[in-house]
Amino acid sequence: MLLPTFDYYRPAGLPEALSLLAEMGEDARPLAGGTDLLVNLKLKKAAPKALLDLGSLEELKGNRTDDGKVSLGALNTASRLASGGPEVPGLLSLGAGALGSPQVRNRATLGGNLVTARPAADICLPLLALGATAVLAGPQGEREVPLDGYFQGPGYTVKQPGEILTRVLVGAPRPGVGGGYQKLGLRQAMEIALVNVAVYLELEGDGETVALARVALGAVAPVPMLSPGAAQALQGTPAGEKIFTEAAEAAAADAKPIDDHRGSAAYRRDMVRTLTLRALRQALSQAQGSKEARS
Amino acid sequence: MSKQAITLTVNGVQRQALVEPNQTLTSLLRDELGLTGTKHGCGVGDCGCCTVILDGETVNSCLVLAMQAQGREITTIEGLAKGTELHPLQQAFVEAGAIQCGFCTPGMILSAKALLDHTPQPTRAEITKGLSGNLCRCTGYEKIVEAVQDAAGKMSEA
Repeated sequence: MLLPTFDYYRPAGLPEALSLLAEMGEDARPLAGGTDLLVNLKLKKAAPKALLDLGSLEELKGNRTDDGKVSLGALNTASRLASGGPEVPGLLSLGAGALGSPQVRNRATLGGNLVTARPAADICLPLLALGATAVLAGPQGEREVPLDGYFQGPGYTVKQPGEILTRVLVGAPRPGVGGGYQKLGLRQAMEIALVNVAVYLELEGDGETVALARVALGAVAPVPMLSPGAAQALQGTPAGEKIFTEAAEAAAADAKPIDDHRGSAAYRRDMVRTLTLRALRQALSQAQGSKEARS
Repeated sequence: MSKQAITLTVNGVQRQALVEPNQTLTSLLRDELGLTGTKHGCGVGDCGCCTVILDGETVNSCLVLAMQAQGREITTIEGLAKGTELHPLQQAFVEAGAIQCGFCTPGMILSAKALLDHTPQPTRAEITKGLSGNLCRCTGYEKIVEAVQDAAGKMSEA
């Protein structure tokens, strides 16, 4: 399968990339891992005149922890995130490790997954549950956009064509916090989830009361979505089976699945209930686990 | 945009090539460098036939631009044997009957090599996960998994 004709640029830094993007407008597309963009070009779903390879942009690389926040570079590959490390939230590692195949994970990036913005994206769901914020750099400087509100539709976000997603900010992993990720597919690799659920759970000092919970649902709405009902049901209650069952019910009620060739809406709603329950148990066991437990 | 000159290391040898902006790494290896062991399969990153090792990690070379290989180190299937002596994985694939039509084999072996480089004694689950980006339409995978287990055993004895 052949790629259409395009020009290739490899800007040396973010200012150069932004000015090239400003100059060429929508004729240019930023290229990170290429596991979505190059496929779309081959399938003639996109025909930019130029690709701007972000691979040399140091501003998009590495991870730093500062004041309880972790700043993750947009060029982190899914493999890098899946292999973890002290600064990577465990929940994000779970999602990143469920994406595609080893070859795809070695190229696919954090930033690419957020910009491609598919409703079942394996990196988007954990980040939404973690309450992450995207940093977008544009001609007028940087702005920070919470992911709750960032996704606009399948493949659409608030990112403007002249902007580049440079980093993602999340809370640093710490004890008393747990994450759960459950992905249902028809096979165990190279799969787009039929339904996926990411749960973030933060416990009070007593190790039991839920201080904060976020339940993110995938493939059951045009965008990765948070379940307000589940979060509300959980907050301030003692974590356990009773409240988890109620929260799972609330998540199923909040989901907005449709019938399609991959599964019926009714089945998906049932699976939201089941997967939410499993993800909550997983998150609780992580939050109550070792003192080293990570989100 | 015209062709540009790039320099890369392929199987330990520095190579130069003139490449088009829209040329893939698969095409660079096969059409410019004559390394046709790397197969062109689906072209969209699903089948893994075009797998090569780029700076120590497997990639689908159909989804890497040739330009992106500038300054990088690549291992293809041609880089595994030492003269006429096959790599233990290649030998194990032959002995286990893990090769039928052979089209997936180069990618399969490179994925297995990357797996064993990081995990010298993988479990069965780690092997199937490590090979999950490579499709085989002939073997049913059983003999491929056996071959990787055999090679892992032999390589740890060596």
